[in-house]
Amino acid sequence: MKFGAQIALLLPLLATLPFVSAQHTSNWAVLVSTSRFWFNYRHLANVLSMYRTVKRLGIPDSQIILMLADDVACNPRNVFPASVFNNADRGLDLYGNNIEVDYRGYEVTVENFIRLLTDRVEPDTPRSKRLLTDDRSNVFVYMTGHGGNEFLKFQDAEEISAFDIADAFEQMWEKKRYHQMLFMIDTCQANTMYSKFYSPNILATGSSKLDESSLSHHGDNDVGVAVIDRYTYYNLEFLENNVKNASSKHTMKDLFDSYDIGKIHSTPGVRTDLFNRKLDEVLIMDFFGNVQNVEVDAEGDVEKWKVDAEELSRLAAKITMPGAGCAKNATKSGATVPSPPDAQKILAMKVEEKTSPIRNAIGVCALGACAAAWFAATLLGKS
Amino acid sequence: MRLRPWLNSLLLLFLTTTVCAYVYKDYDENLLLKTLPNNAVLASFRFVTNGTYTNHHSLFPRSLAQILSHSNTRELHLKFTMGRWDAESWGAQPFNGQTAGGTGVELWAWVEAVDGPTADKRWTTLTNALSGLFCASLNFIDGTRTIRPVMSFTPDGDHEDMDRLHLLHGSLPREPVCTENLTPFLKLLPCKGKVGISSLLDGHKLFDAQWQSMSIDVRPVCTAPDSCVLQLTQTVDMVLDVERSLQRRDYPVPRPRPREELNCDPNKPYGADGSPCFPRSNIADLPWSISEVFGRPLHSYCPLASEPAEHVCLDVPQERPIYITRDSIEVRHPDGRRCYTLPPAGDFDIILPQQSPALPITPFPEPPLYASRSFTGHGQEHGGVKAVIKNPHPTRPVEFVYLESLPWFMKPYLHTLKTTIYPAPPATGDADLESPVTALYYRPAIDRSRGTHLEASLLLPANSTLILTYDFEKAILRYTEYPPDANRGFDIAPAVITVLKHSPSPQHTLPYTISGAPIQQGHGRVAIRTTSLLLSLPTPDFSMPYNVIILTSTVMALAFGSVFNLLVRRFVGADEVAGKKKFGTVVEKIREKVRRLKGKRKTE
Repeated sequence: MKFGAQIALLLPLLATLPFVSAQHTSNWAVLVSTSRFWFNYRHLANVLSMYRTVKRLGIPDSQIILMLADDVACNPRNVFPASVFNNADRGLDLYGNNIEVDYRGYEVTVENFIRLLTDRVEPDTPRSKRLLTDDRSNVFVYMTGHGGNEFLKFQDAEEISAFDIADAFEQMWEKKRYHQMLFMIDTCQANTMYSKFYSPNILATGSSKLDESSLSHHGDNDVGVAVIDRYTYYNLEFLENNVKNASSKHTMKDLFDSYDIGKIHSTPGVRTDLFNRKLDEVLIMDFFGNVQNVEVDAEGDVEKWKVDAEELSRLAAKITMPGAGCAKNATKSGATVPSPPDAQKILAMKVEEKTSPIRNAIGVCALGACAAAWFAATLLGKS
Repeated sequence: MRLRPWLNSLLLLFLTTTVCAYVYKDYDENLLLKTLPNNAVLASFRFVTNGTYTNHHSLFPRSLAQILSHSNTRELHLKFTMGRWDAESWGAQPFNGQTAGGTGVELWAWVEAVDGPTADKRWTTLTNALSGLFCASLNFIDGTRTIRPVMSFTPDGDHEDMDRLHLLHGSLPREPVCTENLTPFLKLLPCKGKVGISSLLDGHKLFDAQWQSMSIDVRPVCTAPDSCVLQLTQTVDMVLDVERSLQRRDYPVPRPRPREELNCDPNKPYGADGSPCFPRSNIADLPWSISEVFGRPLHSYCPLASEPAEHVCLDVPQERPIYITRDSIEVRHPDGRRCYTLPPAGDFDIILPQQSPALPITPFPEPPLYASRSFTGHGQEHGGVKAVIKNPHPTRPVEFVYLESLPWFMKPYLHTLKTTIYPAPPATGDADLESPVTALYYRPAIDRSRGTHLEASLLLPANSTLILTYDFEKAILRYTEYPPDANRGFDIAPAVITVLKHSPSPQHTLPYTISGAPIQQGHGRVAIRTTSLLLSLPTPDFSMPYNVIILTSTVMALAFGSVFNLLVRRFVGADEVAGKKKFGTVVEKIREKVRRLKGKRKTE
């Protein structure tokens, strides 16, 4: 009976759910290439292709977290400086003229990735390195690199396991850091990576099943290495040919139905059991595009606004203007002689060899005292 | 496009007078192109913006102003540099080397704070914020990479209270510089790289240069006691290889030239009739234009900059003809520079035709010092550093400061620091007077929390070479402290050499001013940087832990097995065994039988 009462209480809440779950107010993308070294060029090309796609469909740079574990664009081995191509025809330069890489090189670590997702970051972390999402944000997470059964290698030095990602996503859910999530991964045995997820509203897809490799599509003889992976290539092909602009009505079902094992050469997987919407109702633009919806709550609460405004004005009054009036006496500080080290400043020590009569006297006294002690000891020993 | 050479002296006179009288502006930009030997071209872009921390209507970028104000930074210098400046053939660096940093990223700033620890905290805030703004891993400048130089740097700005300012310096020699650093750099400009000279800044050309440096300098400038502004100077210097740029236009992929296109040296004994040929260098000044070397023409001019000013200046031999697009006016300066105004609309291009034979090019004047630095020694434990610094001037001695910032895992022995001068100066008998070291500042490293800071003030006599050496010990890192590519080695930041009291030569002064005040940087000091070094530390085999685990397990299994065996087995004497008799009887019985059989035979 008690159970029935609880259900009755929950019913009004449940009634609002379908309305709520259909809406999101912002879109974010976390794009991660975990591979270092030149021969992993294709992983950077994969992730940069996705970066171009989400940017093309409207997600601004401020809402894209791009993690590149190595620099291939300005790598001395790259015959095309500041360019990265995902096709041997070199029609599109993925690096372009406008790119913002948020985490690069040694910064791409498992720790930083999990800190980014869960927002457990250092207090000084700049906004561009944080995932500032809320419970109305749709998040697209794309990862690529070298992986295996339930792990993905970072920088050829450490691994993230499927359990780590699953737990991080659960923390995100508990902290209301996403509304819905699309997880896409292109690596060997990729489907094992999302097998441990247990948080709601995650739609996951991967390039290959257990014990199956994820293969590269083709190479470029002038670049000298493979330039893109097959799974990402066919995803992009679909997005380029069908999702031409932000008004596209193509659904995730269309994307997943376009996967062809014969072309991809591995078995792509889709996990929908955590996702409570029908795939043919989920637009691709829900994850790859951007919305800027505003949610207004607490209508007509005038008093609260007044309190907020007062508090803000008090804060504004407190703000001092540093450097508003700079040097007044305009002292030229270009003297070649360094200013004497201040007591409060931490400075290097000046190495000097001082020879003063007092120092010499101290030395002589010390030596004399030692000699006297030794002499006294021998005398005492004899007696 | 109709092109014609401009030579109108009357107009020239008129323009020079108007240019000198232009009014106060908050933004100005300028491009200097200078031909260097071996068909290289130096392109030096300068953008100067005036503003304040608080005034949001000024052109000063708000993103940067907020960071500076939040971290209490009063003066900032941030440099992104790649490649090596070839001083032997190009001469001294432009602007006394003040606009370039060492390889990778170099940052120094004067932070206002009451004491050292507060300054450190604000410095961390600053580096983290800048890492977000400039897409570089500046947050890796932590305590181990930060030093506080004593003599090498002086503030360029006008500061009120020097006692409260803390100078902090950090560098990341391993940091790559690429388009993601140029993108935020351009976003700081008022015209965002869309029009004006910044429209030429394309990552594909900039990062194809032989040497390039992007620099951001912020300093307070006071023209009068009560009128102070915050001045942001953004500079891009790059040395382009004209031959390579032109080749890229024809073949995007670098390929060897066909033989008929090579200029073989006929003076060499080989090279005739199809055999390998020795190419002649610099036989002609190659034809080039702005649109060819930068990949696009200069688009219009930035309306926020002062006008009508000479935004583009060219420093090429006087005899070389130059063609420009129609709506531009040429101004010839007495020092040989030819400057051009930009057209109000449309594209601007400068075309230099081929010049054969090549005209003699005056490179930049000789630098006050040539410096190089290398590692000595061998093995995994010890090593040495040898810096060779040469004063080429025949009569003038040079006073300079040598600054090293070493990571904690490279531990120098200060007592091994030695300086030798060649040719040896005449002996005076007094060792103190003979030593070129006039002052030495040192702050030793602390493992994992602080790097070594070594700063020496030296006096080098004219026309002589100084060799500075010291030995160091390599630390062994912990397993998790190694980066993913540990076998590549660890980059050691370039040494910074600051020449004090150098009289600036005319070519070093800037070709223009903003708001009446000439831009001065470094107070006539010259900065020279050596290349970075690659230190190889003893690197473990990273599969070692697994080997250790396997080996330990084997040893443990063996030890445990034998001990367990000893403990549970009962040892008894051979004669105490109960079953022995039985066993013996069986053998005895067989023997008995054999004996009996033998006996039977004998009896038979």
